[in-house]
Amino acid sequence: MIKAVHLTKQLPNGKLLLNDISFEVSKGEFLGILGPSGAGKTLTLKSLIGLLDLTNGEVWIEESNNEHINIFKTKAKVLKKLRTKIALIFQGYHLVQRATALDNVLMGRLGSIPTFRSLIFGFNEVEKTAAMSSLEKVNMQHLAQAKVASLSGGEKQRVAIARALFQEPNLLLADEPISSLDPKNAKIIMGILKELSTLFPVIGVFHQPELCAKYCSRIIAIKDGKKVYDGPPVLEESLLEFIYGEELAIVIPEKYSN
Amino acid sequence: MKTFLMEHKRWFQTLFLLIGMFLLIQYLKIDISILFTDLHYVVELLNEMFPPNFEAIWDNSTILNSILQTISMAYLGTLIGGLIAFLFSIIASNNIFNLKLIGSLTKWVLSFIRVLPSLVVILIFVVAVGPGPFAGVLTIIFATIGTLGKLFTESLENLDPTSAQSLQSTGAHKLQTFKYAVWPEFLPAFISNLLYCFDINMRAAVGLGIFGGGGIGYKLYLAMRVLHYKDAVALIICIIILLLIIENLSNYLRHKILEN
Amino acid sequence: MLKKILHIVAFLFFILVTYFAMQACGFKVEALQKGIKDSLFFLTAMFPPNWTDFKSMVNPALETLSLAILGTILGSLVSFIIAIFAASNVSNKWVKLFVRSFISIERSIPELFILLILIAAYGLGALSAVLALMIGCIGMLGKLFADAIEETPNSLIESMKASGASKIQIIYYGILPDVFPKLISYALFRLEINIRLSVMLGAIGAGGIGFELDYAFSMLQFNRALSSLIMVLILVIGIEQLSTFIRKRLLIHQI
Repeated sequence: MIKAVHLTKQLPNGKLLLNDISFEVSKGEFLGILGPSGAGKTLTLKSLIGLLDLTNGEVWIEESNNEHINIFKTKAKVLKKLRTKIALIFQGYHLVQRATALDNVLMGRLGSIPTFRSLIFGFNEVEKTAAMSSLEKVNMQHLAQAKVASLSGGEKQRVAIARALFQEPNLLLADEPISSLDPKNAKIIMGILKELSTLFPVIGVFHQPELCAKYCSRIIAIKDGKKVYDGPPVLEESLLEFIYGEELAIVIPEKYSN
Repeated sequence: MKTFLMEHKRWFQTLFLLIGMFLLIQYLKIDISILFTDLHYVVELLNEMFPPNFEAIWDNSTILNSILQTISMAYLGTLIGGLIAFLFSIIASNNIFNLKLIGSLTKWVLSFIRVLPSLVVILIFVVAVGPGPFAGVLTIIFATIGTLGKLFTESLENLDPTSAQSLQSTGAHKLQTFKYAVWPEFLPAFISNLLYCFDINMRAAVGLGIFGGGGIGYKLYLAMRVLHYKDAVALIICIIILLLIIENLSNYLRHKILEN
Repeated sequence: MLKKILHIVAFLFFILVTYFAMQACGFKVEALQKGIKDSLFFLTAMFPPNWTDFKSMVNPALETLSLAILGTILGSLVSFIIAIFAASNVSNKWVKLFVRSFISIERSIPELFILLILIAAYGLGALSAVLALMIGCIGMLGKLFADAIEETPNSLIESMKASGASKIQIIYYGILPDVFPKLISYALFRLEINIRLSVMLGAIGAGGIGFELDYAFSMLQFNRALSSLIMVLILVIGIEQLSTFIRKRLLIHQI
């Protein structure tokens, strides 16, 4: 479970990038964050793991032992341990191109291996077998030895998800994971994310409201740094227009462009 | 199962590298322990070098002359070398005047000039015109012809032929095509490369000072030769500032040209 | 109209500057004409090269080559470590500024003088030469390596940070594998430069074929000078071809 409380980020010139955003996500939920470009969606996501310094606000994460930890007020060691259980995937360019799929998956657990051991001995057989089973879960085991540079966009994202799974996370965050994918692969990835939400909460930032409506269990809309919608994934036209304004034609071209 | 960075291959490569380095060190008869046993010499040297003697520069009017001399060497070298390189490259490139045989020959000559190490060139020029900045300038001219000759030829051959072709189809003859179609497109690359070469030539001008090239490099060499280390360090600081200014100026101008 | 006047003024100024520059350098065209005649005569006196002389040049050439290779390898290693501190995506703002300035300053010191200082400290010999080449690499490779490291996609670094990886792990597992071919390519390019430098440094006391060349010239042993010159050309051209060949192969087989 992760809880964001009054997240606020203000620039020196007074502009509010994040304006008092609060929400809570539990296991079993697949949360989709929507909003126009620059609204603050990615910033919200990054603050959830402490990759962004906030002017105000707290983020509480429930540990495996039911303890609640405030991300911004923990010691570095505790934060690092916490992070090994949080997985983050991006739109793209988040894998090592010259390494194989298996290598990339193994990198997911670097946080739990002491630096010295990882540098000298690398990964042991137990870890490698576990990495292979992560690849199997996303149906990529046959490409385990393939260099990532040779994989397609959809395959790369599946490797990224396998890497996330290998962490055995308590939380999965995704920043526009399907924005570079063709419709078929986008649906595959969304399907995988929905399945994963039964194991741990999944929070994703998306630019595709129709897919969100179809796969997410809950939607939050952010506009100009403020949360303007938090509820079930039922998106009528009026709501979409309110959220996206002029951008609607770009976001859903088939339906709204002339 | 193998992982990328933990492959046995990587271990062998690293080992191979380390053994190779060890063998080279042995072959060159380098005694690494000297680094540590002679450390006190380094400390002594540092004591002799600091604090730097800037008075040697303020009082000495010849230093300003040397600086001007070095800048002049780089300037003339780039200018004259650039012009000659330009003429050569027009002949050598296969799309401007397309002089097949002479073109290939010129390309070959340019390659040969480029390959000659500056040491060889300056030794020859010192025999020809005696030591001093003149030999230095000639060496820089030579080296510039080599570098810019290649850069210019490449730029010319990579030019977009469409504007030249459309001009020629309206009946313009070679020289006109060159003036109105080729030259404007080539100009940014031309100036950018000249500035780049000027930066390089400044460093060369300083460096050649040792081989009788004159300029501030020579002054620095003299200072070190007579063990006036405090003066030498002051001069080095001068040189560093000078070269930093030139480098930044050159980069700034080249950026502005790229924007245009 | 005004533009034309400006052009003419600029042109005149330009001529004036060139004239003064020529004065400053002692540019004497007659000296050049006489000089060319002299050097042509002297060049013909250099032929034919002496085969025994040539054979004795092989060892010095190998020495020069070894100096260049060792200097480049050590220089690359040192430059990489420095580059890590000079890359904005791995290092903090102030450290990066400081290290980048240091790299720029190093670039402005001619390698010849680095050698002179090292000779003053450690005496003549291969150690000073290798150290000089190694330090000389930093100015160029430090910058190129740091720029290459900065090209690593931010998303990769952030996802590794988010999963708790340490800085060293991020560099070794995330950045190094993808940036490695570029590093090798830059190092090979620097090798081409270092072989020329090695020849030059040889003339000031590092030994090797540069020394032979300089000595032969100053002793007016022209045949010997020619042999050493040919050897130098073989060395430089050889390394340049090798370097270009490997770098092309690297580019094609990027993966």
